[in-house]
Amino acid sequence: MLLQIILSGILVGFVYSLVAVGLTLIWGVMDIINFAHGDFLMVSMYTVFWLYTLLRLDPLASLPIAALVTFVLSFLTYKLIIKRVINAPGLTALLATFGLSLFIRNFAQYLWTPNYRFITTSLVTDKKLEMGSVIIGIPQLVAALGSIMMTFLVVWFIKNTKTGRAIQAAAQSRDTAKLMGINTEKIYAVTFGISGACVGVAGALLATFFPIYPESGALYSLLAFVIVALGGFGNIAGALYGGVLIGLSEALGGFFLGTQFKYAIVFLIYLLVLQFRPKGLFGW
Amino acid sequence: MNVKNFRIDTLYGILIVILLLPFMNSNINFRHVMVIFLIFAGLGEAWNIITGFAGQTSFGHAAFFGIGAYTSTILFYKFGISPWIGMLAGAVLATVISVIVSYPCFRLKGHYFAIATLAVAEIIKQLFISWDYVEGATGISIPIVEESVTSMQFHSSKIPYFLIAYVLFLITTMTARYIENNKMGFYLKAIRESHEAAEALGIDTTRYKLYAMMVSAALTATFGTLYAQYILYIDPFMVFTLEVSMKIVLLSVLGGLGNIYGPIIGAAILIPLSEYTRVYLGGTGKGIDLMIFGALIIFVACFEPNGILGLLKKKRSRRRGDVYARADA
Amino acid sequence: MRKIGPVLLVLVLVLTTALSGCGQNQSQPDKTDGVIKIGAILPLTGPASATGVKLKYAIETAQELINGEHPEIDLELAKTAGLPNLKGAKVEFIFADHQANPEVAKSEAERLIQNEKVAALIGCYHSSATKPASQVAERFGIPFVAGSSSSAALTERGLKWFTRIAPHDGMETKLFFDYLKYLNEKYNAGIRKIAVVYIDNEYGVHAFQMVEKEIQNYKADGFELVADVKYPANVSNVDTEVQKIKAAAPDAIFHASYIGDMTMFVKKYKEMNVVPKVVLSYCGGYQDPQFVKNLGKDADYFAGPNATTSALFEKMPVLAKINEIYKAKAGVDIDGPTLEDFASAMVIAEAINRAGSTDPAKVLEVLKNHEFAAPYFVSGKIKFGEDGQNVYSASVMTQIQNGVYEAVWPETSQTKEPIPAFPAWDKR
Repeated sequence: MLLQIILSGILVGFVYSLVAVGLTLIWGVMDIINFAHGDFLMVSMYTVFWLYTLLRLDPLASLPIAALVTFVLSFLTYKLIIKRVINAPGLTALLATFGLSLFIRNFAQYLWTPNYRFITTSLVTDKKLEMGSVIIGIPQLVAALGSIMMTFLVVWFIKNTKTGRAIQAAAQSRDTAKLMGINTEKIYAVTFGISGACVGVAGALLATFFPIYPESGALYSLLAFVIVALGGFGNIAGALYGGVLIGLSEALGGFFLGTQFKYAIVFLIYLLVLQFRPKGLFGW
Repeated sequence: MNVKNFRIDTLYGILIVILLLPFMNSNINFRHVMVIFLIFAGLGEAWNIITGFAGQTSFGHAAFFGIGAYTSTILFYKFGISPWIGMLAGAVLATVISVIVSYPCFRLKGHYFAIATLAVAEIIKQLFISWDYVEGATGISIPIVEESVTSMQFHSSKIPYFLIAYVLFLITTMTARYIENNKMGFYLKAIRESHEAAEALGIDTTRYKLYAMMVSAALTATFGTLYAQYILYIDPFMVFTLEVSMKIVLLSVLGGLGNIYGPIIGAAILIPLSEYTRVYLGGTGKGIDLMIFGALIIFVACFEPNGILGLLKKKRSRRRGDVYARADA
Repeated sequence: MRKIGPVLLVLVLVLTTALSGCGQNQSQPDKTDGVIKIGAILPLTGPASATGVKLKYAIETAQELINGEHPEIDLELAKTAGLPNLKGAKVEFIFADHQANPEVAKSEAERLIQNEKVAALIGCYHSSATKPASQVAERFGIPFVAGSSSSAALTERGLKWFTRIAPHDGMETKLFFDYLKYLNEKYNAGIRKIAVVYIDNEYGVHAFQMVEKEIQNYKADGFELVADVKYPANVSNVDTEVQKIKAAAPDAIFHASYIGDMTMFVKKYKEMNVVPKVVLSYCGGYQDPQFVKNLGKDADYFAGPNATTSALFEKMPVLAKINEIYKAKAGVDIDGPTLEDFASAMVIAEAINRAGSTDPAKVLEVLKNHEFAAPYFVSGKIKFGEDGQNVYSASVMTQIQNGVYEAVWPETSQTKEPIPAFPAWDKR
């Protein structure tokens, strides 16, 4: 029983991680809070849903397409909106992304009605692994594995490619990076795009078992904020572990203290951890 | 040009205009918009003290708002105590809670602090949802009694609500102005610009941040009481929600941060805009009103990143031809 | 240059004054110009907008029936164009969006009454929005007919101007226990242990309170509460919740859930092999036809009270014809809550017609004393009691069998017999 709860918590946690990885990237590199992050997740889920409904494409097959769509959407968001507010004081970027979130969400309602939709059949639907008394749903397992793979892909990209190193440089000091001849403008746009691709993948993985509706991203983005701060802003490993920690504490706390408190417990864990690590688990 | 004079007559001009407006138009919806406008402009002013002046971003002011609303409601609902006393009690309680939660949070810097305030507000919300004594998630319908000043219930007209909101707004704005122009205001701004430098100058940063938070929380709570009395129904989802916190943040940023005119201008644009787009387009059921609303927010943020106030200042300095005014934008 | 701040402010505020001013001018109809306005306040944006939009279609259907000539439908107002007793006056429903926010519901109610001069209000789906909105109606002395708001607290407030069509959650709870008793007696189902799963908001918590209260009256029948699982109003997964339910191994599960979370629960039940004998749902997610569409075979055997089901269309020709019009707009069959809001629109129009004027006092007099024919409900009629509650429960117990909502109880309106057991999930 306990093992079951821990496993479920970890699986959920990895998906949180991936959503948070996208957020922490732009937060760390550009110091921008993207309120529309969860809405990109929703757009990705709808992309998968429509490919499935109209072209009978399996969600896993359309995953790259969804990632591409959110990459482009994020890229454009940077070019059209964020670019103009990145030098503005404090919370202006927050204002802009909040407006964007409101716009995307209601545009989705306008285009696709507010109905709850589900992808009813896919490669993974209704499959499960049974090991004694422990049951693991394949959709959740695939989502967790996919999240881990995507996270490592992002880490690899940042550590081992030229663009990735430029991103690191820009994160540490924008001006120095510029002096070194890095086109920060381009780097920022790419970072935003990668962040979008992360939620794109997460959305496609979630779409096999989570309802799809204009507000589906809202809760994920709220949790992602906490995870990012818990792990330390801009720290990808922090986001990964933070996500798992949050998933676990949600499952265990919910089981022992009452499921209505499961998100309250998540927030409490954040406050407690930051008493000992004021800059997050992996912050410096 | 005497900067101080400019401020005084502008502010008084604005205050008089606001006071006269609802008497010029008896439309019930317009008066409703005026009441909500004053409540949110006042909330913005209160929030501005801790975030605009002291630079400590709070995403959790809904917590104080909700505590103000619930304290007076519970006192009236369970014990028949006048909401005016409840308003004071709520302000005191909010102050106490602000001390308890801020003290540990002030160790955190920047976004870590912001997310912490959000976390605190969400936890308090969940506690109220699960707390049977305050009727939990089912909410409380405030018992309707005869309208009177003592019961803070007025059924035949919105003017008394407007006047109460106006007085609270006035108190808040004047408090903010007083702080801004006194020692404390300069300390807070020093903390905002550089925490380390402020400490090096010998400012007890934690103490002044705490003062700012206490004043801000107490003022926020009074608006909570008024809001509860105005709607005559409260539940945790409506007063403790992140939406209220964000609305306060957004309208202050929209108007211009760290300035007492910011929240007034921000609320004067945001509140009527959201009300009237909904009134004219909300009935379609397609979300068009919120789409337009969102698009306008993006537009303002992109083309006037310093808030509406930044636009005004820029214009003024351009015409005066000096660079001095631009520097303080 | 000094006064640029106030100048701008004045400009903005004058603009809004002008805006609201023209709103007022547009809408000062003499009550004789042949259009009677009725306000409908619904959640048209936000998390519940999926339902809100359908309620809007239902009310538009009612408007079409009232204003157009539909001799083929056996309803008082459908045959003639407009309201015959008011010289064929047309009825216009003015829709407003409350965004699931009580503050907005209140201000929209005020605006509709004062600016749009509506003769009555209907809505609001969310009980938390209906509360302040109906307070406003009470203050202005305007009739309020709630369609599908189900909290029993609404009719316990002693409001004079408030009436409601749907059975409240107290009545639903009683219906649940009576149904279980029936299954135990007739089919020897052996149902004892009950678990309640409910969303942590007004709707769910109130439903649970009703179960706690009602189960006292059924102690003698051997029912006991073995688990109550409350989950947050916005939930990203229900793993832990389902573990808890599984650990309690209930015979019957009562659900107070919306469509999104309900569907997630069913998927998890399947994954975790939770096999109760009966699952009964309060008016919410189960009643939404999307439930069957999304879950297919897995939706079978779930049950709950419903004001209507498509299985009843054959038996009830009026309902079938109403559904035709509705389906052309909404694309799906009419469901319980939607039909209840349709009824609220029909009833208020009929009351105005019978009163012969929009005078609120006369309309209220008709509402409180007359009986209304409702051939689209199984009960066939609507009558409001002293407290404003419709005394005829509009609901039948339905169970999904082969993807169809079949009426299973009471026996008089049965379209199929109930099946008081779930087969194993992999044997469907």
